[in-house]
Amino acid sequence: MVRRFLLVAGLIVLLAFLSLYPLAMLLYGSLHSTPPGVPGKFNLDGYRALFTSAYAVILRDSFVISLIKTVLSIGLATLLAWIVARTDTPARRTLEVLITLPFFIPPILTATAWGMLGNPQSGTINLIWKAISGAETPLVNVYSYGGVIWHMMQYSTTFLFLFIVEAFRTMDPALEESSRMSGASNARTFWRITLVLMLPVMTSAFILSFIRGVEAFESPIFFGTPAGIEMLTTQIYNLLNHQAQPQYQIATALGFVAMLLMAVLIVVQWRLLRGRSFATVSGKGFSPRVIKLGALRWVTFGICILFFAITVALPVGQLLLSSFFRFFGFYTAEMFTLDNYRNVWANRDFWQALRNTMWLGVTGATATMILGSIVAYITVRTRWRIRKPIELMAWLPWMMPGIVLGIGFLWAFSLLPAGVPIYGTLWALFLAYMALATPVAVRVMSGAYSQLSYDLEECSRVHGATWWQTFWRILLALAWPSFAVGWVLTFFGILRELSASILLYAVDTQVLSVLMLKMWSGGKPEEVSVIALFMLALVLVFRWVQLNLINKRISRI
Amino acid sequence: MDDSKRKTLKSLSAAAVLPTLAAMPTFAQVDTEWQKVVDAARKEGRVTFYTSGVGSRFHREVGASFEKAYGIRFETLEARASELRERIRAEQTAGRFTGDVHHNGGTTAYLMMKDGNFQAHGGMPNLKNLVPPFEADQFRVPSNVQSYGILVNRNLVKPGEEPKSWKDLLDPKWKGKILSDDMRALGGGSVFFFVMHDAFGRGFHDKLAEQNLVFSRNLRDDERRVARGEYPLYIPQLLPYFTEMKGLPVNFVIPEEGRPFVRFDLSVLKNAPHPNAARLFINHFLDVQSQLIYANAGFSPTAKGVIELTGDDVKALLRTKVLGTTVPERQDEMLALAKSIYK
Repeated sequence: MVRRFLLVAGLIVLLAFLSLYPLAMLLYGSLHSTPPGVPGKFNLDGYRALFTSAYAVILRDSFVISLIKTVLSIGLATLLAWIVARTDTPARRTLEVLITLPFFIPPILTATAWGMLGNPQSGTINLIWKAISGAETPLVNVYSYGGVIWHMMQYSTTFLFLFIVEAFRTMDPALEESSRMSGASNARTFWRITLVLMLPVMTSAFILSFIRGVEAFESPIFFGTPAGIEMLTTQIYNLLNHQAQPQYQIATALGFVAMLLMAVLIVVQWRLLRGRSFATVSGKGFSPRVIKLGALRWVTFGICILFFAITVALPVGQLLLSSFFRFFGFYTAEMFTLDNYRNVWANRDFWQALRNTMWLGVTGATATMILGSIVAYITVRTRWRIRKPIELMAWLPWMMPGIVLGIGFLWAFSLLPAGVPIYGTLWALFLAYMALATPVAVRVMSGAYSQLSYDLEECSRVHGATWWQTFWRILLALAWPSFAVGWVLTFFGILRELSASILLYAVDTQVLSVLMLKMWSGGKPEEVSVIALFMLALVLVFRWVQLNLINKRISRI
Repeated sequence: MDDSKRKTLKSLSAAAVLPTLAAMPTFAQVDTEWQKVVDAARKEGRVTFYTSGVGSRFHREVGASFEKAYGIRFETLEARASELRERIRAEQTAGRFTGDVHHNGGTTAYLMMKDGNFQAHGGMPNLKNLVPPFEADQFRVPSNVQSYGILVNRNLVKPGEEPKSWKDLLDPKWKGKILSDDMRALGGGSVFFFVMHDAFGRGFHDKLAEQNLVFSRNLRDDERRVARGEYPLYIPQLLPYFTEMKGLPVNFVIPEEGRPFVRFDLSVLKNAPHPNAARLFINHFLDVQSQLIYANAGFSPTAKGVIELTGDDVKALLRTKVLGTTVPERQDEMLALAKSIYK
């Protein structure tokens, strides 16, 4: 009992430090005329400034754009996940790795690539279209609402796919078979049984993706701003970086308004799932039913290849090409060079940033997944009264746009007493990354735990296993595929994180995302391509290790 | 630059310049006094440079030559202008004094000076090299100047058809064909708006708005979009960025009225842990060889005797006349006006 109390108390203190503390600083900023440490007065001016039609339009556009892209993405991700996990489509293990690659490409590079492919004046797609059809109007224009949604979809589809594919794979097919034996068609079984059983995972993933869509930055700044489309993050960026006096009070107030609106979604999800059981993994052995598609398997294979070609081959092809030329998009013999590779290799900052990032990525992802597993266990597998506040604390950082939360971390860590050695060290980045990634870790593990039957746990305890043995040997072992997916998502989330990194890195704690920003700002997108390719190679290695080594070994535990 | 602007610039700095000059040692004292600073700087052994020049290689080159000359370690921390300002404010509020030298655009430096983020630099020998109209005050030392022009795609615009005057941008033939940095946001676009407004009046912008400019905020991508032929013109193009585009089918045009510019300043941060090294580095930044690194990259130097030494390709551009710059106190007013014109 004492041990449990200490565990919960420690957990609450940690989560409060990671989420409540920086958010409290931001709340202060939204209610005070000046940032922390500067004389001023408390008022509601930041919130009052938001009561204009312009901000209403920005919020509406942000939510509508994100909703459309999330609905489209979840449809596509579900189809792809079903193909990979539940059908006999050829080479589906390889397809699974290839489909997820877009998630790991830095968005500024895919934005540049799509700008070259889909701009209305000289985009490759439009030039081909005009040459073939003789039309004078372009076929596509990426500088539009559609362009913003399309670019966001490439990331959200793969993000959602990673969640959903594991849920499909770990689902006991007995319920589906019962449905079919009771006379239901395949389609009816899919809609009434399969999808309903997937509800915790799908709703969690949907909400994570929707919120991330509202907070997306690269897509709207690249494709929205030239078309006059303002979204939440571009407006916040404008308030913080493009005014003579940065408008911290309005920017933080805007962050809290968005957070409040997104909190409504969380409550809806809680109500939707309340009191229902989604356990599909019990003590009985099973292997997911693989549907024989016959000749149709080549159609599903074609769908995966098409997705791969459009979202991976096109942009990665651009990256690969550009890495061998002096300028992105100018592929002539005299522009050919290996200097981009030489420069990155000889760049002292790259090696320092790589070392720091790898340390932060490996330790940060591991610590975050452990924290997320514990939080998810408490929220899903216990009836403790404290579980809801714990879940809420873990969720909060996800609901605050990263661009604002970065300021919160800066204020929170820099204003700690001098004796607390966090600001200016790798620990500042480590803690910020943990806070930012914990919501994903919790969602991934909550979805996995929801599918595990309670009898497994009870059986273990009855046979004399301690809580820790049960947690490690039963729950975590069965949820391992999800843990591994969460680890990869968290690891690469850390690799890409910029908003907090740029405000927290110090002279000798530079990380790859900051270095890539520097290279981009310094007019070296070709060198950024080299690093992106390196990161992609890393993804392939990680995914291969995850799918071929770890999953197999852990399944023997 | 016309007389009124020159007077404005001078009046802004005069009050601060006089005490600095009064505090400066006489020539007889300079060598020994300055040698003490150099010795103290060597003992400090390190200087930390906070700059908004994200990704710029030039301050690194200056830093490397500083390390070589004095054996003092040079470290940089780069962040975008507002982020850098907030970091410094938060650090100083918490009593964490980690940076020594600050390098930022004139508007942000002015605001930070008003906020008390700097300490007096105490003078240095190379201040005498500053070329008018650039003058140091007791907190700020002009380090380099960014100039703006028009980026033109050579494949889309024939040589005789390039804009010769800023007013040529109002020609209906450019309607819908100008990509522009967003004038409603602090940056190159707002500098352009400010200077054109002061030079040609609001009417210029009213007419330019009818040209259906396409706004963007991705400087480094926008110049490439023009090079690739998406648009024939981009305004305002940074001259230093243009010098990195050698080999691409683009020209840099400075219209006959002159070029808008923005000054960058160096300052010693309040309670800098290495104040002598900070002074020594700022002095080193004003050396001819350091200034030449910037000048060859297309930044106008602030020290005399530098332009003459630059390569031929940039010398002609750096010798063109300047049209004007921004005034920090009027920046908010101008941003609001830009928002009302360019909706």
